[in-house]
Amino acid sequence: MNTCAIETQGLSKRYHRVTALSDCSVTVPEGRISALVGPNGAGKTTLLRLLAGLARPTGGSALVLGGTPRQDPAFLSEVGFLAQEIPLYRRFSAQDHIQVGAHMNLRWDAESVRTRLTGLNIPLDRPVGKLSGGQRAQVALALTLAKQPRVLLLDEPVAALDPLARRHFLGTLTAAVAESGGELTVVLSSHLITDLERVSDHMILLSASRVQLCGDTDELLAEHKLLVGPRKDTAALERMHKVVHTVSTPRQARLLVRLSGPVFDPAYEAEDVSLEDLVLGYMGADAPAAYAHLAAVGDDQ
Amino acid sequence: MITFRVDGRSGVPPYLQIVQQVRQALRMGVLDVGDQLPTVREVVAAVAINPNTVLKAYRDLEREGLVEARAGQGTFVKRRPPGPPPGTHSRLGRSLEHWVREAREAGLDDESIESLLRVTLRSAETAVDSHHSPEEEIA
Amino acid sequence: MSFLIWRQYRLQAAFAALVLAVFAAVLLITGLKMASQWHTILSACTASGTCGSLQQQGGASLGSVLGHDFAILSMLAPALFGMLVGAPLLAREYESRTFDFAWSQSVTRTRWLLVKVGWVLLAAAVWGGVIAELVTWWSGPRNAAYQNWFQPNYFDQQGIVPIGYSVFATALGIAAGAVFRRTLPAVAIVVGGFIGLRLWTSQDLRLHYMTPVTTSYSMTGNFNPPTGSPLVGGGMTGPNGQVLAQNFNSDNTFNGVPISSLPHACQALASQASNLSTQASNSAQNAANSAQNAANQCLARAGYHNFLSYQPASRYWAFQGIETGIFVALALVLLAVTFYVVRNRDA
Repeated sequence: MNTCAIETQGLSKRYHRVTALSDCSVTVPEGRISALVGPNGAGKTTLLRLLAGLARPTGGSALVLGGTPRQDPAFLSEVGFLAQEIPLYRRFSAQDHIQVGAHMNLRWDAESVRTRLTGLNIPLDRPVGKLSGGQRAQVALALTLAKQPRVLLLDEPVAALDPLARRHFLGTLTAAVAESGGELTVVLSSHLITDLERVSDHMILLSASRVQLCGDTDELLAEHKLLVGPRKDTAALERMHKVVHTVSTPRQARLLVRLSGPVFDPAYEAEDVSLEDLVLGYMGADAPAAYAHLAAVGDDQ
Repeated sequence: MITFRVDGRSGVPPYLQIVQQVRQALRMGVLDVGDQLPTVREVVAAVAINPNTVLKAYRDLEREGLVEARAGQGTFVKRRPPGPPPGTHSRLGRSLEHWVREAREAGLDDESIESLLRVTLRSAETAVDSHHSPEEEIA
Repeated sequence: MSFLIWRQYRLQAAFAALVLAVFAAVLLITGLKMASQWHTILSACTASGTCGSLQQQGGASLGSVLGHDFAILSMLAPALFGMLVGAPLLAREYESRTFDFAWSQSVTRTRWLLVKVGWVLLAAAVWGGVIAELVTWWSGPRNAAYQNWFQPNYFDQQGIVPIGYSVFATALGIAAGAVFRRTLPAVAIVVGGFIGLRLWTSQDLRLHYMTPVTTSYSMTGNFNPPTGSPLVGGGMTGPNGQVLAQNFNSDNTFNGVPISSLPHACQALASQASNLSTQASNSAQNAANSAQNAANQCLARAGYHNFLSYQPASRYWAFQGIETGIFVALALVLLAVTFYVVRNRDA
């Protein structure tokens, strides 16, 4: 039986009049690498910070490893969080951070940090402010892993990295998951869908502060199809299935459809969807008016 | 030691690419019976894919009987896939290299070479069929 | 965790130690000079038997200008610590977002804050204490010569109050940094808050920590409170003991009391004294003095008295303790606010 590492019910976060997250219910089974995707401002950072206990929800509930996110050493030692701006003390070296971490954590595997960083040729005694962005991200990741968390929350950790640095970072991350024997669960937010396709086996899609999709990638991909056919009335189709997004020219339509059964209409040709199709389709469904012309013109590749 | 390459854009699922690359390595003699496959950790550290993808590929290979997992030790090659011995592959590969060089010198681009190969494969199939028929007639 | 504080503040601690060393050097050198100066003056007046009137003589200019300036500057020291150490303590963590690192380890925010604040306040107390000690020692001769240790500014430089000031200024900086999450507003609040509160206590509040001692004395007599006792007020009381209202800004007053509120019998004498005292000539001044004496005698017969309210110099240490206590209590309130804000606000 797969236990849930993360489970939220109707989780909401409001700041005065702005709703950052609304009625968010997701589950992430243990051992998954989950991709958290969505447009900027959709609530990805908010969700991660709520799960890490850095912020408190204004509604709903969240359970991480069976407990509410809270400020106590037992919880904090099980959950690792890496914020977007790679927070480290710029004047301190990696070695200094290792010593700081040893004093501030219950479990601390200092050796693992040294091994990982020397394996990547990152100097341990240079102030981290003088390292490259990619090296800093690796230091931060190694430090986060050193406390041996069971849940790892990463907020756009590779956003500012070049492709090679990204590859190395994700390699370190997936290797850590492999070593954990299914005990480490990762939630990773990113805009780079190609990376997420390789690395994740679970997805949470947020758009307009709400959850649009949540589940194992294989299942989600199997549940959706791209229907290509002549542009016509879709009422019959919509009675049976959910049409997520339509891109049409005057003659042709491409419909991203979430299936509730087989499609009987012979006018349509069904294509498998890729993760990119899925994400773009759901994000496009909520797109602001500025993007509306893309749906009409048929810019579909 | 075998290294893997996963192409996200190829349309082939990642786990299948790994399976194919292991089979290819066995055919080419890069991997031999008794060799250990890289651990899941080693693969993902280099290639940055989900560990379950590698696990799935190794399980598939195990089901095909090509590899076996030894508890606590790793995954080892048990058998080669059916087909000509590795030597044949390398020998044919070398003569193919020779031919491709000739074709290029003659002015053929990759697209022409590929269509020539396709045409030749197709006519080879029909040649095999017609080759069989006279024997049947005699018999 | 203390390790982290040490590593973060190593440089600043070294710098502060350097500043203290320079300060101590200046005070030591000028102080020793002043002490020998004082010694000479004392031996001179002992020999000539004029030590009793030393204060009236003004005690000459005792000590160097440099030393005096440094002593005055020491009043800024608590604010400096609050601005440079207290204000950035939390504000900088917010600005550079390193709190995301600190609060993602396994210590609670409360524990983290406790260690940080604990060490820094201890350092503030040491900073204030060392400076206060140095200035108190240095002021020895001046205190003896001018008897002014209880006066505003001099009270604030010596004893234990600078410890209270330092702790308060630092706590103010820390709290402002926690609430505003920016260093500059926090620094501004330390400056404004510290100056405001210190001016108010020094000029206004201090003299009322305890009920002043009020001594009534005869209109024709004289009364000097113990040396070094700051005056709180003074005036005249009527035959029933009621304090007479004073208005120093209008004319027709005798010792500030409107002549119309004096008994009829004495009003003429009081007016005379008042008019004569405004005239410049020597004869007018002499006449004014005798008129004054006559008026005083008249009022004394009518049951009027003079009085002085003051804080006895013997209460010096009590007042030092009370003022330090006030500032420390305020610091604790600010710390409570800080802990609440840090623990309960979203990161």
